[in-house]
Amino acid sequence: MPPSTLKISYAGEKGPVFWLALRTGILTVLTLGFYRFWAKTRLRRYYWSAIRPGGAPLEYVGDPLEKLLGFLVAVVFMAFYIGIVNLLLMYFSFALLNANYAAYALSFLGLTPIIFFAQYRARRYILARTRWRGIRFGLEPGAWGYSWRSMVHWLATICTVGLTWPLTTLWLEKYRVSRTFYGDQRFVQGGSKGLLFGAMRHVYYALGLSGVAAVMLALFENPAWALVYLLTGPWLVYGWAYWRSESFKRMTEAKQLGDMQFTAKPRPGRIIGIYALGGLMMNIVLSGVFLVAFMALGLAVGVTDLENINLEDMDVATTAVVPIFVLVYFLFIIMARAMTHAWITLPLAQHFAEVTQIVNTQNIAQIVQRDRDEFAEAEGFAEALDVGAAI
Amino acid sequence: MTGQDVNWVFADLARGERAHLTRVRVAFYPEALIIGMPDGAQITWGWNTLRRVRDQADRRIMVLSHKGDPLTRLYLADHETQEFVTRHARSLGKRDHATPLSKVMLWAGGAVASVAVIIFLLVPLMATQLAEILPPEGEKALGDTTFEQIRVALDETGLGGVRICEDPAGNAAMQTMYARLNPDADLPYEVKIHILDHPMVNAFALPGGRLVFFRGLLEEADNPDEVAAVLAHEIGHVVYRDPTRDALRSAGSLGVLGLLFGDFAGGTVALFIANQLINATYSQAAEARADDYAHDLLEKADISPVALGTFFERLHEEHGDAEGIVAHLASHPQMTDRISAAQAAVDPNRTYGTILDAQSWQNLQTVCSGQADASSNGTSPAKKSWEKPE
Repeated sequence: MPPSTLKISYAGEKGPVFWLALRTGILTVLTLGFYRFWAKTRLRRYYWSAIRPGGAPLEYVGDPLEKLLGFLVAVVFMAFYIGIVNLLLMYFSFALLNANYAAYALSFLGLTPIIFFAQYRARRYILARTRWRGIRFGLEPGAWGYSWRSMVHWLATICTVGLTWPLTTLWLEKYRVSRTFYGDQRFVQGGSKGLLFGAMRHVYYALGLSGVAAVMLALFENPAWALVYLLTGPWLVYGWAYWRSESFKRMTEAKQLGDMQFTAKPRPGRIIGIYALGGLMMNIVLSGVFLVAFMALGLAVGVTDLENINLEDMDVATTAVVPIFVLVYFLFIIMARAMTHAWITLPLAQHFAEVTQIVNTQNIAQIVQRDRDEFAEAEGFAEALDVGAAI
Repeated sequence: MTGQDVNWVFADLARGERAHLTRVRVAFYPEALIIGMPDGAQITWGWNTLRRVRDQADRRIMVLSHKGDPLTRLYLADHETQEFVTRHARSLGKRDHATPLSKVMLWAGGAVASVAVIIFLLVPLMATQLAEILPPEGEKALGDTTFEQIRVALDETGLGGVRICEDPAGNAAMQTMYARLNPDADLPYEVKIHILDHPMVNAFALPGGRLVFFRGLLEEADNPDEVAAVLAHEIGHVVYRDPTRDALRSAGSLGVLGLLFGDFAGGTVALFIANQLINATYSQAAEARADDYAHDLLEKADISPVALGTFFERLHEEHGDAEGIVAHLASHPQMTDRISAAQAAVDPNRTYGTILDAQSWQNLQTVCSGQADASSNGTSPAKKSWEKPE
């Protein structure tokens, strides 16, 4: 009899993921961005294989060439849309409104349906290329339905200045999850409308208190209210971390896969800790890189005679320095990305994986394979619009 | 482990049929790896068909697959046997492409063709049409935005933008020159001329009739006729609405190029350069047309069109055909052609006048000196004087 509970262990480590991200990042820059399909695939393989429910790793089987192909397919279609739409919007915003910002806003608005569409298609591709115990995951088609629903829900969220964000989150999660399969078994996302509002409560408290403190401060000018006002800042940060962990917990525990259910116990404190430590490490290392670059520049300048600089030489020097600046700039960005992987993305993935368990797994072996989802365009649209998953 | 004495090792096998890992026994022979299933059946994997799944996070476990079987995975935990596999399997790292390269090439061709059609055909065509019908207010708004962006971009101090030279006598000299050329009949709107305190030898037109001269150009010119020739050339751009068309065009093509290169750091630079190159080649025809217009205008104003040529000639001698890549990108292609065109436009049976007297010329050349403190923010006056007449 198999155990009725599967724990998720995590095998990812900071060092390897840092080097992987650094190597692939350098190659991406050197190839003017074309290696990014390979870079993304390799990072995903790493991240997926780190997650091991019941000791068996997830596997990402996406093919970089397939992604390149999907990207090219997307370019063929998107180029028309973007080229023509951008031009027309620019024209109308200047012809009718005499302003630039309107063009940017409109051009973004014109893209939103495609952005949501692309996000759903990307998710479908990623799930179709994810396996565990040799069984494929899958997502049913439904990208346009997702697109218009997302727009309606986002509009509602914007109209309520974000207060209904918990409802939006749940609804969109329901749409996605109830179309998700593991093998032949469909996932179910349960939970009533109010499920996630409690997860947002510390954000509401902090916002409410800061509102009260601001009003009282304006009325009474008592410095104590200023102190209260300042305290709502950290509370808001806690509220955000609490939302991340609690919404994950509530949604995960309302998911079902046949008899199987899930438990999760993420900790807000750990999330804050990961960001704080990661941010600190990145600051130290990146300012170190800057310091070294700066000292090298200082040495170069120190050699020249500052009293007798003439402008002609300055021009030559400036021309010579530009490539160095470009180099430092790229190095800086690649380093920052690699460090984000090692110190933030990976520890967060580790935390959420390790606090999650799968329960009632006794009938899991009944789940059988699903057909391969051939998917010519892969996540090409998300890639072209740059709205794909972070990894 | 010699392979002859059968030494079974335990491993996990995922067959891709049910969500279940099978505990199997694995034995190693010189020619193949044998997997023994619990029911006694045996699977044989030849060494050369073994593939290792790459980029695995858990370094203790080797994940093996078998060529031609995309689903089955063997999870090998035993360290010694992993080394044995590494020694025997020759093609562990070989990649078997599921996506045919020919298909990728086909779509790559399609993508390139589609982007080319859009950037070189569709967008320019639409930009030309739209530039004709864009109302003057729209063009001016476009010009305002671009002007401020350019001032900020050229400012090396990073403090708010390059200074506008506002010496009244110098600007009056520029106006005299403009009045003498008298192009108003051709123009959809009034032209406003700004002189920027910047050493670059350049001048350009912006949408909505703004002309920008750099101090460097005024200093480089030998006589007022050369400046007048450049002025006439820039007016030509305004007449044909070249700047407006360029702006609309780059709005279209920049977005498309952004698609190709992606958002990553390398992309931004490639994107910028690619767009500059496209615009530079595109404007060659426009430059020639503006030159032709300038020749006519100068001729009518009793100024020798050769002034355009002599100025270019001297620039050519001093800086070569292009001052490095920057000058090429600044869309001044094929100077020699332009010089000979200017010479050809001269009527040999005619004596030409000069556009400014010596005092006015002096004023124009010193337009940027002596008032740096008064208007170091360099914003409002020039702009106000432009908005007043409306």
